[in-house]
Amino acid sequence: MSLLLASLGFGLVTAAVLALATVGFTLQFAVTDVLNLAFGAVMIVAAYVAYWVNQAGISVWLGLVAAAIVGSLLSLVLNRFIYAPFQRRRTSSIALVIVALGLTLILEFGLQAFVGGTSVSYQLAQGPTVGSGGFQLTVVQLVIIALALAAMVAVHALLTFTRLGKAMRATAANRSLARTCGIRSDRVVTVTWLLSGALCGVAGTVFAVDAGSFNATSADLFLVLILAAAFLGGPGKAYGAMLGALVIGLATEVSAAYISPAYKDVVAFVLLFAMLAWRPTGLLGDRA
Amino acid sequence: MSGSGLEFYLTTLLVYGGIDVIACLGLNQQFGVAGVTNFGYIIFQAAGAYTAAVLSLPKDSANGGFQSYIAGLSLPFPVPWIAGAVVGAVLAVPFTFLVGKRLRGDFAAIGLLVAAVMANLLVTNYRPFLNGDAGLALIPAPLNSTMDSQSLGYQWGYSGVAVILAAATYWFCRRLTESPYGRTLRAMRDNDVVADSLGKNLRLLRAEMLVIGGAIAGLSGAVLVGFITLWAPSAWGYAETIVLFAAVIIGGAGNHLGAILGAVLVPLGFEEATRFIPSFGPPGLIPALQWVAIGILIVAFLWFRPEGIIPERRRTSREVGDAQPPETPRPHQPSPRAASRAGNEPEEARSAAADPVVLEARVISRSFGGVHAVADVSIALRRGHLTGLIGPNGAGKSTTLAMLAGTLPVSSGSIWLEGRDITSLPAYRRARLGLIRTFQLASEFKRLTVLENLLSAVPAQAGEQLGGALLGRRHWAADEAKNVAEAREMLDRFGLSAQANAYAGDLSGGQRRLVEIMRALMARPSVLLLDEPMAGVHPKLANEIGEHLLHLCEEGMTIAVVEHELAYMDQFCDPVVVMAEGRVLAEGTMSELRRRTEVVEAYLVG
Repeated sequence: MSLLLASLGFGLVTAAVLALATVGFTLQFAVTDVLNLAFGAVMIVAAYVAYWVNQAGISVWLGLVAAAIVGSLLSLVLNRFIYAPFQRRRTSSIALVIVALGLTLILEFGLQAFVGGTSVSYQLAQGPTVGSGGFQLTVVQLVIIALALAAMVAVHALLTFTRLGKAMRATAANRSLARTCGIRSDRVVTVTWLLSGALCGVAGTVFAVDAGSFNATSADLFLVLILAAAFLGGPGKAYGAMLGALVIGLATEVSAAYISPAYKDVVAFVLLFAMLAWRPTGLLGDRA
Repeated sequence: MSGSGLEFYLTTLLVYGGIDVIACLGLNQQFGVAGVTNFGYIIFQAAGAYTAAVLSLPKDSANGGFQSYIAGLSLPFPVPWIAGAVVGAVLAVPFTFLVGKRLRGDFAAIGLLVAAVMANLLVTNYRPFLNGDAGLALIPAPLNSTMDSQSLGYQWGYSGVAVILAAATYWFCRRLTESPYGRTLRAMRDNDVVADSLGKNLRLLRAEMLVIGGAIAGLSGAVLVGFITLWAPSAWGYAETIVLFAAVIIGGAGNHLGAILGAVLVPLGFEEATRFIPSFGPPGLIPALQWVAIGILIVAFLWFRPEGIIPERRRTSREVGDAQPPETPRPHQPSPRAASRAGNEPEEARSAAADPVVLEARVISRSFGGVHAVADVSIALRRGHLTGLIGPNGAGKSTTLAMLAGTLPVSSGSIWLEGRDITSLPAYRRARLGLIRTFQLASEFKRLTVLENLLSAVPAQAGEQLGGALLGRRHWAADEAKNVAEAREMLDRFGLSAQANAYAGDLSGGQRRLVEIMRALMARPSVLLLDEPMAGVHPKLANEIGEHLLHLCEEGMTIAVVEHELAYMDQFCDPVVVMAEGRVLAEGTMSELRRRTEVVEAYLVG
């Protein structure tokens, strides 16, 4: 029982990190139809920004703000100067995915060339442990969960109550129609990349906090979890991404406890394949 | 470097080159020719390498049991190599579900990418299977019991075999690609929905590509592992697939010579280039910069030269082209029926009821997320009639057409062709029954010539299946010549002979519509569904097409046309079905419809 509770605790933390990333990833796809596989690479670049801030003797939570800003700007740059020009040329979605993989190589290994191949860690006290029975979380882990919850509520409020959020959903549903209705879709696209990029930067930092140590290629495997969560909930569905992140986060950590930590990510892979085979539009997607 | 040192270097280069060429050819066959984007390609190379390794390794590891692995059968050469290719092919089978029609190509590609990451993770972590992270070492080189694998003669022999296998792979891929089968693959690559509507079985074609590519990749892995005698997960990270993609894109996707050039430039060239530049910076810097360079090359080539260094060759046919210049279509004599139609005689309606129903929709509906695009529509198309389908935008005309053709499944209701329930048949099966559609949006196969577009539609042509293509040109040349003659006749009739060898993607909008209609006719339909065929076509030509369609109806074809142009309906269509808001509002001749006030109010204003 305590093993289950402990793994549920870890699962919630993983789910929180995953939710931040997956919502960002899926918003990019929803609004601009880009499957940005360089998302993991941007996460790691942002995590390093937080690391450098941290190295200067500043709290990593301030570093997180810097990471969010850098993630935001870098994402915007990727779209403005790479993805959008390719899309304007009517490059196929497959070629765009290949471009994204090329960008992943450039970012990850460009970073590695700069910082070297060794792993680094933040200077961060884990704080006291709270909880009862097997269910125990450190203060840092609680902060990660709280951050994710706050971000999810903010995304929900944005999509539901603001003009901008409604414009984003309209653009996601039908870009040309949204434009005809007077929605300035260029602006919506810009804001989407800034916002999802900020989520990406935050996700990168809390991922690095959660992982303990990280290097330039650490996010490769995490990207698989993001993809699994996004496809599980339905690509392009923000709430689906949240649900997918929760399921994948819990499933991987519980299986880590009961099967083996070495194979925890395989659960995500199995779920992803099951969804692709059975229902490519995801749990919360439209019926095909 | 001493003389023999240079020879060792050259032979090594040849072996690596041969292996890279084999791997790139397999990937090009999948991606460049057939448009199947397999981001997990490296899995199949790894599978071939591991298979060859464990089949040639002895039961107990030569290094005193420090490595554990399955099998260990000590099988003689060439069994491990053959098995490597076979396992590569077999391993592809479970992935074929990803490449069916339902899944977007980019989603399938991501599924395969994730599979590659996971396969590597599993093999890395599970040691008893293939010795985990450490990988397999001391793998016996082929024929090492009778030959000295370190000798120069052996090295030359090995490189000779690698080059011969690369040449054989090239020959094999070329035979597949330069055949009606290859044309079908390229058509699928350019537009899979349209290929489906012309009777091509996408799932089978893509599955064949995955399996063939898997076999080729498996072979390349087997040849590689026999030479380097070790194999570990670090050798086949998912990013290695990207290197091969970079090679194919840079060399020229779709062109097998381009794939060979890419193999020499990228995997081989990068490896060798670093051998000659002085090492600088901390360890790991040069490999990291190599990856950055590959990433930059991919993005730069896709932007500046997406067709690669050696672009795909345009398949021109010498017999056609400038030989026949007639620009204007040969007009048909206006048929007596069309002449009578022009006057809109009411007795037309009587004859309509007499002809047998060929294609029938019984109360079909289609909803998209709660919106009823089509609700309880029943339509009967009668033999020899040119049925018109009109209605305002969003009336559900195109959706109805798509459901009739099977491009979209119905939400409810049934569809009958010649008394047979075809509701559950996929589009390509309906097409093979003679039910052919065209599309509202331009849907030519862009990188096929006009002539190839027409030829691609011919049903049951020789050499269109994998087996037929492998039998070679002698098997299908006669049938092809007959089809080419038919296509030339069609081009002549529609006045597009001069463009026969042009890429369909380079034509004007009106010409592309013509290509689409001709292509549909080449499919020898018994029922033809045309979605706005006259959009963008010169009125004079539109008239002639109308006449031609009427002529085909008289010969027994059943045709339905979605059109906005009322004059066109007046002139050619009988009966005309009026749709509005997803329902059938009225049906009859145009003169009848004009007398019905509710129809006039809904649509026929003026």
